[in-house]
Amino acid sequence: MANPETISGLLTRQDTWRGRSQRRSRPVAPTGYSSLNLLLQGGWPTASVTELLPRQFGIGELSLLLPLLKDHSNNSRLCLWLDPPYQPYAPTLAAAGIALERLLVVRSKNPREWLWAAEQSIRSGALLLAWARQQAPRYTDLRKLQLAAADSSNAAFLFSSVSSLAAPSPVALRLELESLQVNKLLLTVRKMRGAAPGAQLQLPLTGPDTQTAQRTHLTQLPADRHYSYEGYSGHSPARLKS
Amino acid sequence: MAKNNRQIKDIWLYLYFPLLPLEALLPQLSTEQRQKPIAVIDLQKNTQRVLCCNSQASAWGIEPSLSVSTALALCPELIVLPRQIGSEQDCQQQLALLSYRFTPLVIVHDHVGLWLDIAGCDQLFKGYNNLLGKLETQLQHQGITSVNGIGPNPLAAQLLCQSRFQTELPSDREIQHRLTTTALHQLKTSRKQQQSFKQLGLRTLGDLLALPRTELSRRFDGQLMDSIAQLNNEQPFNAPYFKPANSFRDLIQNPQGLFNKESLLFPMKILLQRLCNYLIARQCHCQEIEWHFEPLIGESRQMRIQLSGSQNSWGNLLMLSRLQLEQLELPGSVEQIILTTDQFVDMPMGMFNLDLFGDSDSAQQSCDLIDSLNARLGIEALSQPVLNQDYLPEQASTLAAPGQHIKTTINDRLKAPQPVWLLTEPAPVQMRNQQLYWHQPLSIISGPERLCGNWWQAEQQRDYYLACDSRGARYWLYRETSSQRWFVHGLFS
Repeated sequence: MANPETISGLLTRQDTWRGRSQRRSRPVAPTGYSSLNLLLQGGWPTASVTELLPRQFGIGELSLLLPLLKDHSNNSRLCLWLDPPYQPYAPTLAAAGIALERLLVVRSKNPREWLWAAEQSIRSGALLLAWARQQAPRYTDLRKLQLAAADSSNAAFLFSSVSSLAAPSPVALRLELESLQVNKLLLTVRKMRGAAPGAQLQLPLTGPDTQTAQRTHLTQLPADRHYSYEGYSGHSPARLKS
Repeated sequence: MAKNNRQIKDIWLYLYFPLLPLEALLPQLSTEQRQKPIAVIDLQKNTQRVLCCNSQASAWGIEPSLSVSTALALCPELIVLPRQIGSEQDCQQQLALLSYRFTPLVIVHDHVGLWLDIAGCDQLFKGYNNLLGKLETQLQHQGITSVNGIGPNPLAAQLLCQSRFQTELPSDREIQHRLTTTALHQLKTSRKQQQSFKQLGLRTLGDLLALPRTELSRRFDGQLMDSIAQLNNEQPFNAPYFKPANSFRDLIQNPQGLFNKESLLFPMKILLQRLCNYLIARQCHCQEIEWHFEPLIGESRQMRIQLSGSQNSWGNLLMLSRLQLEQLELPGSVEQIILTTDQFVDMPMGMFNLDLFGDSDSAQQSCDLIDSLNARLGIEALSQPVLNQDYLPEQASTLAAPGQHIKTTINDRLKAPQPVWLLTEPAPVQMRNQQLYWHQPLSIISGPERLCGNWWQAEQQRDYYLACDSRGARYWLYRETSSQRWFVHGLFS
């Protein structure tokens, strides 16, 4: 005897394929970039893990997530950064509108702790940004995280190195990130549920306008000229106090 | 019926625990031993006599006031335990704490029973009968056999103590009837007085109360007159009310020793349940709990658990303790488990607020997450970026333990863009052929921006530049003006 509750439970799951039926709209969280929303069919998929594969750190991979982080932290929900490669710089994050008291940086000591912390945070409704340790997470680990995200309908992001592209992954979305020029990212969809891989997008990042800035050679540096910040030039104690 | 109950102004409940000497010692025994006949003995009239025994022992014909030798002759496999007043008192304090949840007026009667003034507590429990029912379940849950008596004053309640736990409030008339028919020998008086009762032909309390007071005072001593005055509600009952202690300390002993972590969980659960009773009674939350695991020989191990938010359920506390216990190295066998806490905060008003926006749910979840991460990964694994009013970047942004966040205003006086990542230590940059080099060649995009700080100690003057490499990653560089050396300080992302 089929239990109607079980069936309706199965039907609401993201990974249940329904023949001939219209594709259900999946829950998404807006990215804050309209062209990226278009590429991802609405936004970052919630209820699944998104794997971001930047070719290198520092090309703007985190700027992609700043709008989401801002929304999330201002809804008094916790954002958990697991094993970030460097120390987050508070003034920039605060300037981006992120509530710092909702940001939690967690350092794990071994892969087991890493996996445990990641799963716990997904299951308890925090927005997880995890950076893969030196040893890339195994398929079963990723599957565990993906299931946790599907169960709790929370978005989670995993930064791994491009080299892990060769290995299969159970996550719903894999995006490769590389920099075309300063402040311009090239996003390549490597895997997306319900769409063919390979779609590309050039995304100009909202950031410091450095397009117009000329690259200066070291020898041409203005050695004596300094742009000091407003209200304070020189460093006499009396001026500083005012 | 309800109206009838309302007319009783004072309702006193007397709880008596007939098997307390035995039941206080039961936790020290193994489950196997508990199935055997057990008797608790005490010195009475220079002989060790049975004080109380369990049902298995009664089946062998053992009853209170038998001498030990007779008892052992009746049942050779009887487990004989000497009475421990200390553990009885501890047990009684816990029962008082439990009763304190039902009424704020609890009086501890030596080490025999408890008086509870339950007048006016019916509204909370939707009727006295409900209250009595709940109290009985709670006491049974503690594994304590209890009987009770109900009366208009403490003494009457004690005299009317039944041989079972009554969960229905008797009517006024019933109480009066029971009181008048109470045999006089139940009244605690001297043997001489009992004899004079007999000589006067007085058998019940009703007979005694029917006599004129002046006549009685001539024949009997002041103590009896006080008792009569108390029974008639003419004299207040003078005894201090029970108050929960200022800090919590409880222990469970296990003479056989516990050898693995799994077996520790059950006593830990009991201790945490007791802690929760205590916290509810005091209407506060604890911020930290401390466990001590003591072996018979050797040093004890400690474990401290920090709590970030309003965690008061024992299930949660047990889960956190369990997570931390996994990391702890324990001695071979644990004889004694102690739970202490003395850091309390008042229960937040939020407990009683209507949750209009549903925020507290996610806040609770965040607290739970922080606590479990704390317990499993250790306190040092968690941090939060904090903004400070300082010009030097490494001091403007620091990491602090979670929960100690202080709101600071943003120092937005810098015009130039700032990075998301900061290196913990500025990394020196090499110079190769007039080219900056850190992992790969870097070229300057914009800058400089001068930062000065720390002039009162060692002066630092830095020119900050924005640089990028050939693959589009952007870096935050600075040149120390004094030494002309270059450093990478951050990464844009």
